[in-house]
Amino acid sequence: MSLQNLQTHDKIFTIILAGGQGERLYPLTKDRAKPAVPFGGIYRIIDFTLSNCLNSGLRKIVVLTQYKSFSLDKHLRLGWNIFNNELNEYIEQIPPQQRISDQWYQGTADAVYQNIYTLEKEQPEMVLILSGDHVYKMDYSNMILFHKENEADITVACMEVPINEGKRFGVIKTNEENRITGFHEKPSEPSPSPNNPEAVLASMGIYLFNTRTLVKAIIDDAKQNTNHDFGKNIIPGMIQLKRVYAYPFGDENNYWRDIGTLDAYWEANMDLVQASPEFNIYDKDWPIRTYKKQYPPAKTVFDKNLPDGRTDMILNSTISEGCIISGAKVEGCVLSPDVIIDSRSEIYDSIIMESVRIGKNVKIRKAIIDKYVTIPDNFNIGYDPEEDTKHFTITDSGIVVVRKGMHLI
Amino acid sequence: MTTILLVEDDKNQRLLYEQELSLEGYEVVTASNGREALEKVQVQLPDIVIMDINMPKMDGIEAIGKILSKNKEIPVIINTAYSNYKDNYMSWAADAYIVKSSDLSELKDTIKKVLANRAEDS
Repeated sequence: MSLQNLQTHDKIFTIILAGGQGERLYPLTKDRAKPAVPFGGIYRIIDFTLSNCLNSGLRKIVVLTQYKSFSLDKHLRLGWNIFNNELNEYIEQIPPQQRISDQWYQGTADAVYQNIYTLEKEQPEMVLILSGDHVYKMDYSNMILFHKENEADITVACMEVPINEGKRFGVIKTNEENRITGFHEKPSEPSPSPNNPEAVLASMGIYLFNTRTLVKAIIDDAKQNTNHDFGKNIIPGMIQLKRVYAYPFGDENNYWRDIGTLDAYWEANMDLVQASPEFNIYDKDWPIRTYKKQYPPAKTVFDKNLPDGRTDMILNSTISEGCIISGAKVEGCVLSPDVIIDSRSEIYDSIIMESVRIGKNVKIRKAIIDKYVTIPDNFNIGYDPEEDTKHFTITDSGIVVVRKGMHLI
Repeated sequence: MTTILLVEDDKNQRLLYEQELSLEGYEVVTASNGREALEKVQVQLPDIVIMDINMPKMDGIEAIGKILSKNKEIPVIINTAYSNYKDNYMSWAADAYIVKSSDLSELKDTIKKVLANRAEDS
């Protein structure tokens, strides 16, 4: 992927769906929408999709929000107010307007239907529909080219996933020309990919539509009793009627994660701190943008006059600016800005968010500590499930989640 | 008897349509703007709506969206003096789009066609 031949696509209108409740990410979504959940130390989840748009030359973007959008709105305003309105380039955040319906969005297709008027002014050739809660790098220009070459009405981005995970996804069947012949949302027995019996072709929830096809499809869908969902209703209903193609996604590592659960969230963060990370955020050809507050540089502290071994040890971790690690051990962690860890504490395989204070002699293992949490001296998290259950959320795989602003005594 | 909700802000046109459609054997309920149409739909569900677009208080485009959000099944025919509302995507939600004419035969034919299509579908 490269930005060297970047061309902007003024005939394409991009809609980012950011209205899901994100219940399975609770308590990280207690105060914020899922796309606004912090990720990888300095980012919010939506930054990856927005950076892809920016790097792919998409300049007309609306973000459809719904629940708890304050923090997302603030992030977009402070970090992504970068396009030039005079050139008719924009990233606009649109909360529900209740122009058509007085109900909240009933599904992904209903969210677009209720905002159908946003397309009228632009009269775009195509509409790209993206999700605000995926972590991946993708040049949408290639998908647009693929769509044009195939004279498609709809193109769905897809990738191979292991067959045992197939039931979590929309599973696609194609013919030799990549034309979609079958689409089943979350099938109980997914059928394998033609090239690989161990894998299925999964929809990534990324759809490129010719505008007229989209408008007709979502209006027809709105007049029926369906789930009003692109994956469940619109795409399966269009296969027989229109030219629907599957665009095979691929980057260097085929990395794409739907941050659906707390476990998936923890794992995707841990993908960043391996010795050679599966997801590369250091690629200068594909910068990931975010909003950052001003902080001083990260700092470690070692006092040789103290005899008790207050030596920092930081291994396989990302340390953001403003952090002070003062004679502690940090291994396999993602530290957001302004985290202070005091002496003799040991933190393993954890995500520590902004402005967390960790006292002396604290032990933390496999945890997610949300913003502004203060952890007192001698406190342990992740070592005694019985004790942890009393105060915190614990996931299926045993990750302990401490909610935002919790003061522990 | 088939009930038509006729939404039209011009009093004379309203009377004309009401009379002509009654002669065709329909029961005609009238409303003079989109907001009144919403109220009428809630009191008595018509079999079909004939909707003008350019009206005070609430225009026909907005009213179509709101009516469909409450009742997805109800067929709607847009009956307007202007053809340019076809650019408005919500107008595509109507079953038919008629540009007004002094000859009402197109409207009458379309009502029959739309009702017949609906009967076939169900």
